[in-house]
Amino acid sequence: MIAKLFCVSLGRLPGYAVPRLPGCPVARSAGATPPGNRVTGIPGNLVLLLALLATPAFAQTKVQVEMDPSRATQVIRIAVPFPDLVPSTAPTSPSPVNATEVREGFFAPLTRDIAYSGIFAIAHLPPSVPVTSDLLKRTNAQYHLKLNVWNENDEYVVEARLIDASGATQLGKRYRSPVAALARTAHLLANELLKTLNGRPGVFLSQIAYASNRSGNWEIWLMDWDGANQRRITFHNALSILPSWSPDNERMVYTSFARGTSDMYIVHRRGGGRKRVSSGLSLNTSATFSPISNDIAFVGSVRGNPDIYLIKDDGTNLRQLTTSTSIESTPEWSPNGRQIAFTSGRSGTPQIYVMDAEGTNVRRISYDGNWNDDAVFSPDGEHVAYTSRVSGRFQIRISNLITGESRIVAGEGSNEQPTWSPDGQWIAFQSNRGGRWQIYRMRADGGDLLQLTEVGENKEPDWSKKPE
Amino acid sequence: MKKSRILATILILTLIALLPACKTTRKKPEELKQPAMEEPQPPVVEPPPAETVKPVEDFVKTDPEPAEEVLPADMDLLNQVVQEKGYIRDAYFNYDEATLDADAQAALSTSAAWLKGRDGTTYNVLIEGHCDERGTEQYNLALGDRRANTARDYLVTLGVDARRIRTVSYGEERPFDEGHHDGAWAKNRVAHLVLVR
Repeated sequence: MIAKLFCVSLGRLPGYAVPRLPGCPVARSAGATPPGNRVTGIPGNLVLLLALLATPAFAQTKVQVEMDPSRATQVIRIAVPFPDLVPSTAPTSPSPVNATEVREGFFAPLTRDIAYSGIFAIAHLPPSVPVTSDLLKRTNAQYHLKLNVWNENDEYVVEARLIDASGATQLGKRYRSPVAALARTAHLLANELLKTLNGRPGVFLSQIAYASNRSGNWEIWLMDWDGANQRRITFHNALSILPSWSPDNERMVYTSFARGTSDMYIVHRRGGGRKRVSSGLSLNTSATFSPISNDIAFVGSVRGNPDIYLIKDDGTNLRQLTTSTSIESTPEWSPNGRQIAFTSGRSGTPQIYVMDAEGTNVRRISYDGNWNDDAVFSPDGEHVAYTSRVSGRFQIRISNLITGESRIVAGEGSNEQPTWSPDGQWIAFQSNRGGRWQIYRMRADGGDLLQLTEVGENKEPDWSKKPE
Repeated sequence: MKKSRILATILILTLIALLPACKTTRKKPEELKQPAMEEPQPPVVEPPPAETVKPVEDFVKTDPEPAEEVLPADMDLLNQVVQEKGYIRDAYFNYDEATLDADAQAALSTSAAWLKGRDGTTYNVLIEGHCDERGTEQYNLALGDRRANTARDYLVTLGVDARRIRTVSYGEERPFDEGHHDGAWAKNRVAHLVLVR
C-alpha cells in the first residue's frame, strides 16, 4: 500500500482564542467545562465493557463503552497509543510540546470519537509499557493508529498513520492547527478513519444547538457532538428558546422574547448576522428551515388560534397551512422537504400528524398515549421520533412510518424533544432524570447513553443537518 | 370616626386659611400647590392647635376609605398592589384546557370593572398565558396563547377596549410555582394580567 500523505492546514483565522469566534473550535477552557462523560447502564443490554484510556493520566476522560454483542462482531479492533511527542529541532520553535494540551485537546476527543464510532473497539494497552510491534500483535489489534505530534511555529502538527496488521500504511494524514483547534483536528482525523475503513465519514464535526439558562437567561448555545466546546451564540438577555438548524449548517432560527412578545430570529452559527423574521402573527414558535428551500415552517397565531404557517426566511410570502380551530403546533419537515409533521389537538389530545408541504393530505400517525409532541423525521425519512407520554412520564417513542410499529427508548425521568444525528445513528434529547433538565445522547436503539451538559439547565437540542 | 371627620374639616379649613397667607409671603409656587393637589391627603402644615395632640400621620391611617387612592408609580409595585387588593384578578384553567369556568369568569369580571373604572382606565393590560409543566414545551406555548386570548376575548365582551390589551404566551417557560405537585400546577395554569403603560 502506498502511503497517502496529505497536509491539511486548519488556517490561521484571527481570534482563535476568543471563545465564541465562530466556526473555530475552541479550547475547552472557554467557560465551558467538558461534560463528565458519564455512561449509564441501559437495562436489558448485555454489556461488553471496554476499559478505555485506563491509564491514571487519563482519569478525567475515562470512557466506558457499552456494546451490544450483536454489533460487536463487526467491530474493528484498533490500537491507539498516546502520540509520540517529538521534540522540536527547529531553532525557530523552541517551545516544547505540552503533553496535557495534546491529551485534553486532541487525544481525548479522538479516542472518544473512535470509541463511539460504532465500528471500532479500542485495544487495551497496558500503561507505562513501550508500544512495540510485539505488544500490538499480542492485543490482536487489526490496525494501529500511529500518532506523532510536534510544535512548529506555535502550531501543533499532528501526523497520523493507520497501519494494518501486515505493516502497510492504509492512511497518512498530517494536520496543522493552533492549540485551540486541536479538537477539530481530532474530529477530522476520526472522520478520515471512518471514511477509510467504513466508506463514509462519521458525525464527529456535527454540532448540537440548544437552549441553556446558565447565563441567567435562556439563550441559544452550541456544542460539539461529544458535548465539548460549549459556547453561547445569542445575547438577548431575554428568554430565547427552540433553536433549529438550516440545512447548510450555517444558520439557526429560534424564538426570543427580547421585545416582550415572542418573535422569530435567524442567527449565523458564529453569532453574527442576527435578524428578526417578522410574520405579523403571534407566537412565532417552533420555527424550522425547509431542507430544500428558503421557507421556514412555524406556529403562528391569530386571536388565540395557533396554526402551522410558512414564511420565507426574509419575512415575505406568509402562507397558512392548517386552518383547524384546534391547537396546531411543532412543525418539522421530512428530509425531502415534501411533508411536514406537526402536533394537533383536534382529536381532543395532542397527537402527531403528517401532511404534505402544501397543507393537504393530513393523516394521524400517533395513537399511543394521551400526549404526543416534538415529532422529528429520521434522516432516511423512514422513522419519526417524538415525545410520548407513557404512564404519566414522557418518553422518546420511535415510530416506523412504513410498518406503523413503534417502540420506546430512553428511561428514567421525563425525556423530551428528540433530535437525530445527521447519520441517523444517534438521538439527542432532554431529560430531567437527574433533577434538572440536561441534554443526553444515545444510540437510536437506546444504547451508549451519555450526558452532554451539566452547567445550569439545558434543553431543546437540535442536531445540525449535515455531518460536517 | 366622627372625631376624625371633624379633625379633617378643621385641617382643611386651616389649610384654606393658610393659603392666602402663604401667597403673601411669596414662597415657591410648587410648595403651595402640593397640598391643594393631593387633597384630601393632609397637607404638610402645622397641626391645628387643638386639644388632641395626635400626629397627622396617625390621623390619616384611621381613615379606612380614602376618597381617591394613590397607586404606586412603579409598575412592578403597582401590579403587586392591584393583585393584593383584588382589583385585578387572574383567570385559572383546568389541565390542558383554555375555557373559562365560573371562577375564572368572576375573576375577569372584577378585573374588567377595575380596568374600566377611574383608576384602571389609564392603564393598558398585557395578558400572559401560562401552562403547568406536565405538558410538552412546544405544544404548551400554543396552549398558553389560546388561554391568554380566551381571557382577552372575555375582557373585550365585558367592555374593555381591545386596543388596550396585548397577549403573550410563556407556555411552561416561566412557572409561578416551581413545585412539582397539584398545588403548583394549578397556580401555573393561568392567564396572568399585567398592567402596562
